[in-house]
Amino acid sequence: MTFIVVDDDMLAMLPNNMSSKLSWDAVQDEFGSTESIFIAFGYKDKTIFNKSSFSDLWKLTNELESRPEIKKITSLSNLPKIENVDGFLEVHSLQPSEELDDIQINGIKKYVYNNQSIRARSISKDGNYFNIMVQPNDSIAHNVVRDIVVEIGDSLLSKNYEIHYGGTAYITGSVPGMIKNDISKLLGVGLVLMSLILLVNIRDLFAVGMIFSVIIQSLIVMAGLMGWVVYLTGSENFYFTIINSSMPIILLTIANSDGVHVVTKFFKEMRHNGNIKKSIAKSIDTLFVPIFLTSVTTIAAFLTLYFAPINQLMGYGICLSAGILYAFILSLTFLPAAMSLKRWDLNSKAISQNGYLENIISKFGKLVISKPKSILVVGMIIMFIGTAGLSLLKVDVNIANFFKEDTDFRKSIDFIDQEMTGTMDVRIRVEAPIKDPNTLNEMQEMQTLLNSNPKVTTSYSIVDVVKQMHRILIDDNPEFEIVPKDEKKVSNLLMMYSISGDQDDLNTIVDYNYKVGLITALSRVMSTEEIIQFVKKIEDQVYDFKHISNASITGMAIVIRDLIYLVIESSVISIFSSVILICLITSIFFKNFSWGFLSIVPLVTAVLINFGFMGIAGIHLSHVTALLSSVIIGVGVDFSIHYIYQYRRLIKDKVRNGISNKVINEVGYPIVLDAASNMSFGALLFSTFIPVQYVGGLMVFAMFSTAFGTLTLLAASVELLKTSYSK
Amino acid sequence: MIKLFIICSIQFFLLINNLSAQTGYELAKKLDNKDKPQNMTSRISMTLTNAKNKSRKNVMISKTASQSQKQMIWVLEPKSDRGMSFLKIEREDRKTEMRIWLPAFNKIRRINANRRSNSFMGSDLSYEDMMSRSLDDNTYLRLEDDQIGGEECYVLEVIPKKSINTSYSKHITWVSKENFQIVQEASYDKKSKLKKIKNFHYAFVNNYEIISKIHVKDLQKKHKTDIYFDQVKVDAKMDEKIFQEKSLKRLPLH
Repeated sequence: MTFIVVDDDMLAMLPNNMSSKLSWDAVQDEFGSTESIFIAFGYKDKTIFNKSSFSDLWKLTNELESRPEIKKITSLSNLPKIENVDGFLEVHSLQPSEELDDIQINGIKKYVYNNQSIRARSISKDGNYFNIMVQPNDSIAHNVVRDIVVEIGDSLLSKNYEIHYGGTAYITGSVPGMIKNDISKLLGVGLVLMSLILLVNIRDLFAVGMIFSVIIQSLIVMAGLMGWVVYLTGSENFYFTIINSSMPIILLTIANSDGVHVVTKFFKEMRHNGNIKKSIAKSIDTLFVPIFLTSVTTIAAFLTLYFAPINQLMGYGICLSAGILYAFILSLTFLPAAMSLKRWDLNSKAISQNGYLENIISKFGKLVISKPKSILVVGMIIMFIGTAGLSLLKVDVNIANFFKEDTDFRKSIDFIDQEMTGTMDVRIRVEAPIKDPNTLNEMQEMQTLLNSNPKVTTSYSIVDVVKQMHRILIDDNPEFEIVPKDEKKVSNLLMMYSISGDQDDLNTIVDYNYKVGLITALSRVMSTEEIIQFVKKIEDQVYDFKHISNASITGMAIVIRDLIYLVIESSVISIFSSVILICLITSIFFKNFSWGFLSIVPLVTAVLINFGFMGIAGIHLSHVTALLSSVIIGVGVDFSIHYIYQYRRLIKDKVRNGISNKVINEVGYPIVLDAASNMSFGALLFSTFIPVQYVGGLMVFAMFSTAFGTLTLLAASVELLKTSYSK
Repeated sequence: MIKLFIICSIQFFLLINNLSAQTGYELAKKLDNKDKPQNMTSRISMTLTNAKNKSRKNVMISKTASQSQKQMIWVLEPKSDRGMSFLKIEREDRKTEMRIWLPAFNKIRRINANRRSNSFMGSDLSYEDMMSRSLDDNTYLRLEDDQIGGEECYVLEVIPKKSINTSYSKHITWVSKENFQIVQEASYDKKSKLKKIKNFHYAFVNNYEIISKIHVKDLQKKHKTDIYFDQVKVDAKMDEKIFQEKSLKRLPLH
């Protein structure tokens, strides 16, 4: 487990051959990291243009620049100022020294307010806050840079200013750790609740302890495999990302299910014959096949994730499958062995008396069997309502939306988003002779399109530098703030810049040989629909380029758009392939297609209702909540297989009367107990993260829908078809 | 007797220490006094290579006079900038005047070259690196002798005086014992971090040992510059009147 690598890189989820990923990698390689951390500091009701603020900006910029983990800082302190002073062309830093006088400050203010691009990047809309952009070094993890930036920022500024942090590198550097801590804490609460529910119903501490032992050992094997694979192969597909945070919950529910079935069956047998060895043998004899089958089908379902387009789902599926396999082995070896070592008191309540749930299930079973048609109709209606809700389902993978609006973290990133440049970006990588005016003009047209979007705060590229140099060269005449028509003129201007300014200023907008340029647009957070429409317009414009032969689009907005499609694609592939696979396996095993079909009825219904309910309730599908379908399928198939296997066993035993009722009495209790104990993960509802809250709520809903689906829809269907099955 | 011995020892120690300090200054003075050509013409090939190993090349013709205080450079390559030229004149008040001819615009513009830390044409040489250092602007300390590429060298620590406008905190200079030329220099930034290493190679031209190649590496930016000088002519007949604006517009034939 010590070899587990936690990865906060959202980009790692994208397949390596995806165009936006290829373009992203090319941009990072050529121009450095485009994921930034923003620091905003200032006063709520006072201008930032004063001596002490500029002095603090200077100190902050220098302190951050001195850190090797940081590649580039952009602030008013070091932004280049291009101007014509007494006939001299000057390119130098906007802030010449730490201490400024009023005249210098007014000069900076005038320059900034006359230059929209610099203004948008360096100060807030009201001029009360400075904005500092921190570009991390490519090789440094975002959480490391985040910690450094916050430490330096807080130590220099917290006494005198209001400080806000934001930007994609800040969010991705903060969120995985925060989610990990949050889930760990709430998982602990969930586990305590789960043990209480099991204890109240099973009424034996040793038995509950054994179930937990199976769960913990399986979790260790799953996590250990993840670490070992990374250690031995270095595969990034086995890194622990935000997606993997649902793995422990899924394995917990499945391992819990195996343990609960074995323990409750054992107690039932003990109640009948009072002999430990016989009870264990009977329990294993009865449960070996269904537990084997549930494990095989669930493993098969998770292994289908191997084909999902999101890279980490491959490691997810394999490691989870290993955990499920180990839980199966432990349930049928370790668990009976441990139980055989204990001297059980036959007079204890756990053995001598039915549990509370057991009695309720018995009554419930009679109700279902007495009115199968009505139950089926009600179930179908609910399913249709759920299916109708599917059309309302929306996808949102923007991590900024993971936080409640009233949290400090969300307020801080919202401030950066609303008052500063915004936290989302679009990058267009242009491969063409950059000094060619035709190239520059098409880049300019693209910037015009980008700027026409009201959410875009600023855009910049080499075109801005060329235009500004042109204007300054021609006596600071605004009419010449245009791209020159002659390539030699452009070349002369850029050569002049390299003589009078710092070539490093251009490193983030043009490559070393002027063959690749980068257009950057910064924008406020957009909704999924807005992103899709915006990207479509950009793609159309790129398609219309006549002189730029090769252009590709990337940036966080594009990544989010692609991730949306990937989440949908992964969910669809995972759901369809696992359902088909489960149906095939059970059909082959039961040698009857209709049994195979019936085994998927509860889980298909639960998936439809679950996603439909999400649509109706306005819960967004994200890369975190999408994996709930795996829980439903994993647990749902367990329930239906236990039910069908028991039904077929009783048929083989020539039981004819009240067969469905007997099945519900036999398997209904462990199913409901399993579902009820898994509902403890409703504790996740108290998370500070919105998707984790949803996972908590949906876990309760999924457990209810799968258990209820098995004991109503499946039971009613089997009851209605019993004549054909009894032959 | 013991007292006398102690006094003599202290005096000897102070004398040695003083001699050592003098030696540093003397070395610097000796360097400063070396014969230099009055004027020079050369063809310069400058190759810049960035951290990703991407290169670009400039070829120029350079003419200097008054021991490099006046300089003109005409660009031959890249083709798109052929004909661009610069005129640099270091005035006695240490201010530098620089003019640039932009053939595509048919305009001459003045550039502020007094920002000494600015890079020259995107290279790893700053304007400060290219200017002649005045002997009294620095303090000198002789360090332990060393070898560079098998060549025995004196080593000088050169620390700019506080009154000097510089982007460096110090330089360590290796001076060949054989020909008394600087073979290597390491320059440290204001935070005392090693910033650049420069290596110099020489060739004889008309009894002068003239730099034939400079290799500069900026360790912080991971950027390097290789400058080759060929077709070098020294103390040739040169009219100093050419160091004026109107000369910028004409590419010299040689």
